[in-house]
Amino acid sequence: MAFVMEFLSQLTMSDLAVALFFIGLYGAMTQRSIIKTIMSIGIMDVAAITFFMMSNFEAGARSPISGTDPQHMADPVPQALMITAIVIGVSVVAMCLAMYMRVVYRYGTADWNILIRRLED
Amino acid sequence: MAAPLVPLHIIVFLPVIVGAVTYFLPQRIYQAAMLLGTVTVTFFSVQLFTAVRWGSDVVQFVAGWPEVVAIKLVADGFSAPMVMLTALFFTSAYIFSTRAGYLDKTFIFIFLMLEGALFGVFLSGDLFNIYVIMELAMLTVAILIMYKKEQQAVYDAMLYIMMNFIAMAFMMLGIAYIYRITGVLDLAVMQVRLAELSDPRTVIVPYAMIMTAVALKSAMFPLFGWLPRAHGAPSAPAIVSAVLSGIQVKVGVYLLVRLSIVFSPAIDAGMFFLMLGFLTSIVGFLLAIVQKDIKLILAYHTVSQVGLIVAGLHLGTDVAFWGGMYHIINHALFKGLLFLSAGIIIDAYGTRSVNEIRGVLRHMPIIGIATLAGVLGITGAPFFNGSISKYFISRGVQGNLAEIGLYLINFGTILSFIKYSTILFGKPSGKTPKPLMDPFVAGISLLFGFAILAGGVFGSQAVSLIYGPQYAAHGALSMQKILTFLLTFAVGLVVYRTLILRIGDYLAGIRTFKFSFNQVTVFISLFFVLLLGYTYLSVQ
Repeated sequence: MAFVMEFLSQLTMSDLAVALFFIGLYGAMTQRSIIKTIMSIGIMDVAAITFFMMSNFEAGARSPISGTDPQHMADPVPQALMITAIVIGVSVVAMCLAMYMRVVYRYGTADWNILIRRLED
Repeated sequence: MAAPLVPLHIIVFLPVIVGAVTYFLPQRIYQAAMLLGTVTVTFFSVQLFTAVRWGSDVVQFVAGWPEVVAIKLVADGFSAPMVMLTALFFTSAYIFSTRAGYLDKTFIFIFLMLEGALFGVFLSGDLFNIYVIMELAMLTVAILIMYKKEQQAVYDAMLYIMMNFIAMAFMMLGIAYIYRITGVLDLAVMQVRLAELSDPRTVIVPYAMIMTAVALKSAMFPLFGWLPRAHGAPSAPAIVSAVLSGIQVKVGVYLLVRLSIVFSPAIDAGMFFLMLGFLTSIVGFLLAIVQKDIKLILAYHTVSQVGLIVAGLHLGTDVAFWGGMYHIINHALFKGLLFLSAGIIIDAYGTRSVNEIRGVLRHMPIIGIATLAGVLGITGAPFFNGSISKYFISRGVQGNLAEIGLYLINFGTILSFIKYSTILFGKPSGKTPKPLMDPFVAGISLLFGFAILAGGVFGSQAVSLIYGPQYAAHGALSMQKILTFLLTFAVGLVVYRTLILRIGDYLAGIRTFKFSFNQVTVFISLFFVLLLGYTYLSVQ
């Protein structure tokens, strides 16, 4: 029990982000519902963003805006880049959802396997 | 030689800016304005190419920030020819479709936005910038595929976007890892820092993640599932298919070359990609042979040709490498032409089945001749451009397994295009097609056909003009090569008549077999694990 607690206490945010990424990948591999696979790829994206955010993390660093002492400043690059990545992720997921609605209305199913069978007819 | 006339970011943004600013104009004027815009970009890109080719590499730091901090744009010996090819190709395709019915303002705008995005990928010297622009290209491609909203186009586009998004998530995680290790996103600086690493094994995880995304983008086996859907989508307009197969899939190949060089101080997975290239190529033509839909034949054949290009790039000899680079241009020319003419043929005959279309050469002579030029180019007939690049690739591999592989690939190409060329001859079974009256279509088709022939006759000069290295190509026209081609062609004809035609019905199962989204994701994961394992074992 103590071993498990020690292992858990050593986990960083980055480790959790990587775990989350592969949980998302697992979801995309196994879920037959289209909406759940869209959720899964959303989770993968968020996990990658979190992992990127945590690079060069230092405890106690201040936000990189003007006026902060450069000695205690957090790395500004991941923060600037991840704003872009979040926007991209949102727009791609939004587009997936829009297409999902069309597919559902047209073929009347939200299941990948049933959808393939209906497309062949 | 002079410096480039405009800064590099102007070339990237010009198509988008012109499209956005003139969007309020009526359709006809808008179309003309966009033509002017894309011709201007073509002029700038050709000028950029001459400045790089006979001058020095152009490096530009956006917004004047110092190196490492700034987003860098680079035009060098690899990227400048690709930019020029993209600009020329988009302009030709745009002129080709001047009178096409599907052309409206939104379509034109998104089409040229894709052009800008592709310029961005080629010119970018910053890993995260490449990621962002590839996402943009992915979204525009998805919209273009489903633009007509017909049949299963939305499903094809959804599958395309979700598969690519998973790959891009892998890529972003890989970028995050590499940023942690090296502290930079700039490719040139990254290469220097990777050389200073004490243990190259620390970068195998980011390498495998980024390369998984790149392999999916370049449609390597077994990640090519998206390509036939996107490129051969029944409802996609002809120029979209042509641009996707001609240029967009080369983005993956280009990044494969670029990033392999960046990672070369730490990791060399050339052997892996060589094997993968051969495998992709063989699987590609096998699937192309069993198709009935002419667009799908072409789409699966793109998979095969990309495999050949990747194999050529990783054979290890210089001449094979430049042969592969030249084949990128050649493939853009003949596959672009074949897709463009296929779109016209499909419109005229009202069917996509290779068994129903007959007599193209008699009823639509210009399209027929153009198709014939494309077929001769792609099969590597003497005097056509495919023969030169295939000759370069096959030089230096005499007498080993790779040579047999290359013969096999060329045999498969000939076999699948014997099937494709049956549409040229005979009598149409159904209605006779309406004659072709469009001078733009005819002009561009003949221009492409002429370029294919010129690229073959002046093959050696073309390579040294575009890339620099001098290789004699007269060996491609030797008696032995011509005889080999004719013999292979004859054997292909016999095999097609005796074997493929008879077992056609049994192939229906393979033809309709498609992977579901879940299976594709499993393949992506497997590919990642395989590449990770290979690099782990190969790097000491």
